[in-house]
Amino acid sequence: MYSNARGSRLPLAFNLVSIFSLFLIIGLPVISVVLFAIFPSFNELSFARPFSNFIPQFSNPHLLTSTLNTLRLAFSVTLMSIMIAVILAYLRSRMHDHYGRIWDVLFLIPFLIPPYIASMAWIQMFQFNGFFYQWFDLNLSGFLFSFSGVVFVMTLHLFPLIYFAAVNAFKVVGNRYSDVAKIYGAGSVQIAFRILLPLIVPTLLSTGLIVFALTIEEFGTPDILGSRFGFSVLVTSIEEKLTDWPIDLPGASVLSLLLITIAISVYLIQIAISKRYTDSVDNQTMASKPLNHKGFMLVSHGIFFFVAVFTVVVPLFSILTSSMMQTMSRGLHWNNLSLEAYQTLFSLDDGALDAIYTSLTLALMTALITAVIGMLVAFTLIRLKPKGHKILDALSLLPNAMPAMVLSVGLILTWNQKFLPVTPYNTLFILLLAYTCLMLSYPIRMLTAAMKQLPASLDEAAAIYGADLLLIARRILFPLLIPISVAAGCIVFAISTRELVASLILAPAGTETVATYVFNQFDQGSVSSGMAMSFVVIVVSGMLIALGQLLAKRHAR
Amino acid sequence: MKFMHLISVLALSGAVLNAQAETITVYSAGPKGLSKSLVKNFEKDSGIKVDLYQATGGKIMSRYQAEKSNPHVDVMISSSLGHAITLTKAGELLPYQSPNAKNVPDFLKSDTYVSQGAAVLAIAYNTQSTLPEPKLWSDLTKPEYKNQITMPDPSKSGSALTLVEGLTEKMGDDAWTLFSGLKQNDILIPGANKAALNPVLQGAKSVVFGAVDYIALGLKKKGETLNVIYPEDGTVLAPRPIMILKSTQHADASKRFVDYILSNKGQNMVSNTLILPARTDISTSRPGFDDLKLITFDQMTAAAHAQATKNKFASIMGQ
Repeated sequence: MYSNARGSRLPLAFNLVSIFSLFLIIGLPVISVVLFAIFPSFNELSFARPFSNFIPQFSNPHLLTSTLNTLRLAFSVTLMSIMIAVILAYLRSRMHDHYGRIWDVLFLIPFLIPPYIASMAWIQMFQFNGFFYQWFDLNLSGFLFSFSGVVFVMTLHLFPLIYFAAVNAFKVVGNRYSDVAKIYGAGSVQIAFRILLPLIVPTLLSTGLIVFALTIEEFGTPDILGSRFGFSVLVTSIEEKLTDWPIDLPGASVLSLLLITIAISVYLIQIAISKRYTDSVDNQTMASKPLNHKGFMLVSHGIFFFVAVFTVVVPLFSILTSSMMQTMSRGLHWNNLSLEAYQTLFSLDDGALDAIYTSLTLALMTALITAVIGMLVAFTLIRLKPKGHKILDALSLLPNAMPAMVLSVGLILTWNQKFLPVTPYNTLFILLLAYTCLMLSYPIRMLTAAMKQLPASLDEAAAIYGADLLLIARRILFPLLIPISVAAGCIVFAISTRELVASLILAPAGTETVATYVFNQFDQGSVSSGMAMSFVVIVVSGMLIALGQLLAKRHAR
Repeated sequence: MKFMHLISVLALSGAVLNAQAETITVYSAGPKGLSKSLVKNFEKDSGIKVDLYQATGGKIMSRYQAEKSNPHVDVMISSSLGHAITLTKAGELLPYQSPNAKNVPDFLKSDTYVSQGAAVLAIAYNTQSTLPEPKLWSDLTKPEYKNQITMPDPSKSGSALTLVEGLTEKMGDDAWTLFSGLKQNDILIPGANKAALNPVLQGAKSVVFGAVDYIALGLKKKGETLNVIYPEDGTVLAPRPIMILKSTQHADASKRFVDYILSNKGQNMVSNTLILPARTDISTSRPGFDDLKLITFDQMTAAAHAQATKNKFASIMGQ
């Protein structure tokens, strides 16, 4: 299709750059982990006793239980997230944009709340003697400390990922198909199931895959809630090898291979399913028109409000009150409230402000870098389809499926070598690299899904008029994808500001990020300081994201 | 402007060639305030620069292991004696006897490590509870404490493991009977130390079996309704070992840092964190060596069959 001379060299360049950057950022640490699993002394650069670690690791009787628990949890969370996200995204597509945008910003907040803090918040709400017990005489600890409770907390945290992508998908689908169907006498249920759903299936599958991968990798929630009722997943078993004496890094790497296998299998299943549904919209449609039905709008906003109470209001309330309680044991009373934690936070010698500054800067840089690489990779994967593009695609998923702790070990193994003339290790750049590696899959998934939906007829039309590939990309494809890269960038920013595990293990000496500060406070300091820090960062990041959205909107005009 | 400043710091931090001062790297398992003030004052007094990496005991060990091919750390301060024993067996520690360690009791040091101080294992009790204050470990097996007890998990907390080892060492089979009794009382074992303490602070439960005392004492000082009880039938210490790595390029500077932690100044900083200072001649505002009834046992032997101890405990608790 793109046949002129300039065009033939360009795809090659795009391919090489994409492959090289993904390999450098993700490939190397993953390969290190795999090598470490095979060669248990790889951390000393010795290749002795290959595979000697497999049998002892796999003969652990608990392994099967945790593997099955991992799968059960991941499927449940993914399905629940898809369900909630689709319903909300559909309602959102029928709303006026300026109301809808408020909900969009609100639903970014669950990402800003670290899962382990959200879990603590829910414990404070639901446990015996907790807030719900004091206010409504409800003791929901039986629900919270159960499989359903873990699914509940994780779904509330992850469904927005699918929601954002689905909102965009509905936008691209637009209303014309439904209008046509209506003319032919289809009912709204029929339209939903026969037209809208199939059209957004690719999006749901690709973001559902991320939610799945994130669930199998999530440590905080299963650890905090699951350890209360003897529920263990693979990641908690892996984390034990890395934190409990005796430390067993190679063992953790071996178990990570299981997670990699699960993720790749699910990825292949996803490809198989999406082959059956390759409905792409073959012409650019106009944006959907909001519905002006008062009753319907009231009900939609009511539903959104209900979800927002659970995903945003309750956790934030809990974080805010914890940060303002002078002592935990005296509970929520006027005479126990103080702003002391906030005063400590803003005193200069505490290091909190430096931590906030470090985290926000790193998060911003990560968001920019991943958005650019994501755009490049999505374009390469979808429009150029090089040989082996599936490998690239799968590679981008792996960091989500591997525990961040193991990936951090992989990064140390990769970059802490004597023979490297320059290395990011022991500088802030290693954190930037780690965040980029961990976050790359969001923009890649979101942008590839969106790029798939952009009709090829766009390119063809432009090509007929003599535009070469670069021009098509620059003038047509990239501008259309700007809103999605901004959305992806916001998600990356939100998650980066609170990334804990990699920050904890990779931080150069003397550097603290927001999450490590909070963690140290929880571990041996004061819970109220940790909560105050979390609250401040949620507010600041939320404002920055809202600002980013605003600028993007301006730009889009 | 500030952003540009950060970029330049980023660029400069890559070049760690600091010609003036010798620099040592310290990995410490907290508490953060203590590590920071030790490092700051040592830098001031000695002119040696310190790069401090601060995390949990498990994380510093993981980082050390992952860095094996190109080690960075000179001195490690861990919260778990198990780490010191493992590294001693592997021959990775530099033997050193600090002149300041004269008054450190033998069970808190060896040729390869010396304790900075120790946490004492105790019962933490929320004074808002209507239950009677327990006096003995075994009091908590009484029916009135049913559903009111938490405990840190020995497989996740080095100090809780030390307690289980100490009690089994002293009481033999009676210790296992005690643990079964706790299980009958539906003891909650939710994870590491902080996870066990939070439900008691929030009033969902009343008592922690095996709390790390300095954390509980610190919270009490802040106004939490907590009491720290040292059971009359004796308790155990969880030492916090300081180790110098054999791979160090700065042995002398590292030794000076260890000496500093064991100096009067350093030990007072330890005592201010409400950790029991390692030296018996340091006066402290918290319960000291003379006020505590300690169970001492051979930690080396206990470490050799730690896994069996953990497994037996887990099977009693139905984990």
